[in-house]
Amino acid sequence: MDLLAAYQPLLDLFLISAGFALSQYVVLRAGVFSIATAGLVSIGSYLAAILMTTYGVSIWLAAPAATLVGLAFGLLLSIPLARLRGPYQAIATLAFVQIMLALALYAEPLTGGAVGINNIPKQVSTLGLLFCVALTLYVLGSINRTRPGRIFDALRQDEGVAGSLGISIAFHHTLAFALSGAIAGLFGALQAGYIYSIVPHQYGFALVAGTLAAVILGGRRSIWGPVVGAAIMTVLPELARPLADNRLLLIGLLLVVMIVFLPQGVVDGLLQLRRRRRGQLEATSKATPTTTGGMRA
Amino acid sequence: MTLEITHVSRSFGGVRAVQDVSLRVRPGQIIGLIGPNGAGKSSMVNLITGVLRLDTGSICVDGRDVSADTIVGVSRAGVSRTFQNVRLLRDSTVLENVALGLTREDRSSTLRCLLGLPSARRELRSIDEQAMRILDQVGMTAYAHHIASALAYGHQRRVEIARAIAVEPKYILLDEPVAGMNDVEAAELGELLKALAAKGIGILLIEHNMAFVHSLCSHIYVLNTGNMLAEGTPAAISAHPAVIAAYLGA
Amino acid sequence: MLAQQLFNGLVLGAVYALFALGFNLVFGVHKIMNLAHGAVFMIGAFAGLYGVLGGLPLWLAVLVAALCTGLLSVTIDALAFRPLRTSSEAEFAVLITSIGVDMILVNLALRVSEAHTMRFPFGVVPVEPLLVFGLRITPLQLVILGAALLCGALLAWYLYRTSFGRQVRAVSSNERAAMLLGVEPRAVYFQTFFISGALAGIAGVLIGLAFNSISFSMGEPYLLRGFVVLIVGGLGSLPGAAVAGLALGILQTLTVAYFPSGLTDLIVYSVLFLMLLVRPNGLFGGAIADARMARR
Repeated sequence: MDLLAAYQPLLDLFLISAGFALSQYVVLRAGVFSIATAGLVSIGSYLAAILMTTYGVSIWLAAPAATLVGLAFGLLLSIPLARLRGPYQAIATLAFVQIMLALALYAEPLTGGAVGINNIPKQVSTLGLLFCVALTLYVLGSINRTRPGRIFDALRQDEGVAGSLGISIAFHHTLAFALSGAIAGLFGALQAGYIYSIVPHQYGFALVAGTLAAVILGGRRSIWGPVVGAAIMTVLPELARPLADNRLLLIGLLLVVMIVFLPQGVVDGLLQLRRRRRGQLEATSKATPTTTGGMRA
Repeated sequence: MTLEITHVSRSFGGVRAVQDVSLRVRPGQIIGLIGPNGAGKSSMVNLITGVLRLDTGSICVDGRDVSADTIVGVSRAGVSRTFQNVRLLRDSTVLENVALGLTREDRSSTLRCLLGLPSARRELRSIDEQAMRILDQVGMTAYAHHIASALAYGHQRRVEIARAIAVEPKYILLDEPVAGMNDVEAAELGELLKALAAKGIGILLIEHNMAFVHSLCSHIYVLNTGNMLAEGTPAAISAHPAVIAAYLGA
Repeated sequence: MLAQQLFNGLVLGAVYALFALGFNLVFGVHKIMNLAHGAVFMIGAFAGLYGVLGGLPLWLAVLVAALCTGLLSVTIDALAFRPLRTSSEAEFAVLITSIGVDMILVNLALRVSEAHTMRFPFGVVPVEPLLVFGLRITPLQLVILGAALLCGALLAWYLYRTSFGRQVRAVSSNERAAMLLGVEPRAVYFQTFFISGALAGIAGVLIGLAFNSISFSMGEPYLLRGFVVLIVGGLGSLPGAAVAGLALGILQTLTVAYFPSGLTDLIVYSVLFLMLLVRPNGLFGGAIADARMARR
């Protein structure tokens, strides 16, 4: 029991990071190069923090509210971002993150400015976090097993092909943004209800990069990718003091090394290895493929 | 009931890619579009399928004007296509690639999909079964679960055609489908196209392979430097002096 | 008064323009968006500082800094970007590695500087302001303007009057065709990244002098400002980067002078966002950015 208590904060941190990573994962999966998650998280966090401190609202209400608001902002973001692709989307979403940061710093009466919001009642438990992560995994897993999952895969690989088959690109990008926003809003609220106080600078570039690193590390295709990535990112700094002190360096190195050597990430890389072994078995077990495979109508 | 392309033009900067071109495809026909490199064939395909804007003219699918429609709109109007460089989803399986063409038939609502309801999962499974049947038509069922990028080029072509068939189009535009295929493969593809035409699909075949075009098409259009040089039966075209000159001079 | 603020803005804008020129050169030629550019800028400032502290006259320290950052930039390309040239998702991958390199460099600078903010020693540049047409102009401002103009002119000369520059422009319009014509792509990558890094380094030293503060985190706000310049000016357009850089410098200075502080960032990033909404190509940009499903 003592052992569990010692590691519980780490587990909670992992669960929250996993939530952020899942929010980032959804948009990347659909071929949208958005790194807006940190900004959407900040909206959820501040909303929940304000509701809980100023209005005494419990997390049971604040979290769903933040989820809905996150969803709304995701939808809003999808409108201007529909015209952009690739690096332009990345820049636009970075600008969004900066705008949210600037707002948090500037709207002092509401957000507490640079000091942030303190004394947020801690109402979030490990069980609650586990439940939310499980719920998110269920929804995202359902998508992967149904039509939108296939479409996301297609959009990520070749948007033009999807369009040429009559699939609405705009609708599915919007869906991805909405989901990303909802998840970010939810876990932003959960974070606020867990860490007693929030300050604007925790929602800046470091969060953007850390969340991105988790997804790149774990993988962008399977839902377990961001989870594994978040786990590694949480545990790694704990393994050795120098790792913790140089967290930024670690994230940077991971990003570079992973993209160059294992761009699919750990989970998808392993899955691919397994598939390749199976694929090779299939090729040798069937009769030698002939060109006269017999085309019939 | 036709795919009607009327007086279509398009320029880029000062260069006239396509100039006052008209052609027509009827259901069940296989129509050829040939011409030397740079004749404007690719531009024509892109103009028809919604990639490029028309400067002049119109594209009508069974009477419906799709000249201003996007790629998505033209596809939904009933026009399907393959690409000059085979564009399959490289990381997906052959089955997933073909099933993509069937996604529009999956009627499950987004909400059902988010909730993971059995009905939504069932829809996807039924789509996959349908995709297998289409793979059977092109003789690729053995490769259903192989990753698309691992396939030989000729096989990739077949999968792309299967995907184009999957949307149940009224008309298919094939952009150089037998490039890189040997005679046996080309002959098989030819049989497939005849069978598709027999089912009532109108086919526009853009090709360099003369023998292939002659053996299949009832009518051939010849483009040269953006203009319609000639049109007629295969026999007429192969004897046409201007056509011969264009190919020799090109 | 207004004229003074405008002049100050122009000076700041000159540095923004230098920063953006380097970034835009690499993006315009190779379509690589190098998010580590801000860190290179920061290291240039440190290099210049150490040069001066080591006894070099300012002009030499600036050159040494430019050399360092130029080589650093080339190294970054070799280690982080070159392995990805043939990748199927090169654009995405390059962005990610550049973020990674940025974090590595910032962390290294943090360690070396132990998070202290450093300053140039007093008197590196004469401090007495001159009075010209009623404007207070410090020698430093003249140095900045002069350096920026010189760099701009040198860059223009290099690109349009030398054979190297011609090769760079050839690669920019069509890399494969340029290769077929005998252009050696490695040489081009070396030159563009070197120049880009050198410009960033010079900008870093100038800003370090102007605000008399050099810290490991000074790169980030400039990178973000750099985005604004790039989008407004047009990604890939060098004249656009210059014009937009000057405009941003003026906008920044005026909003700081006439609006409550804290609003500046908000205004600047909102301009960026609006620009992306309305005209993602920017004022002079040629790169096609609008991906709406419409016929082209």
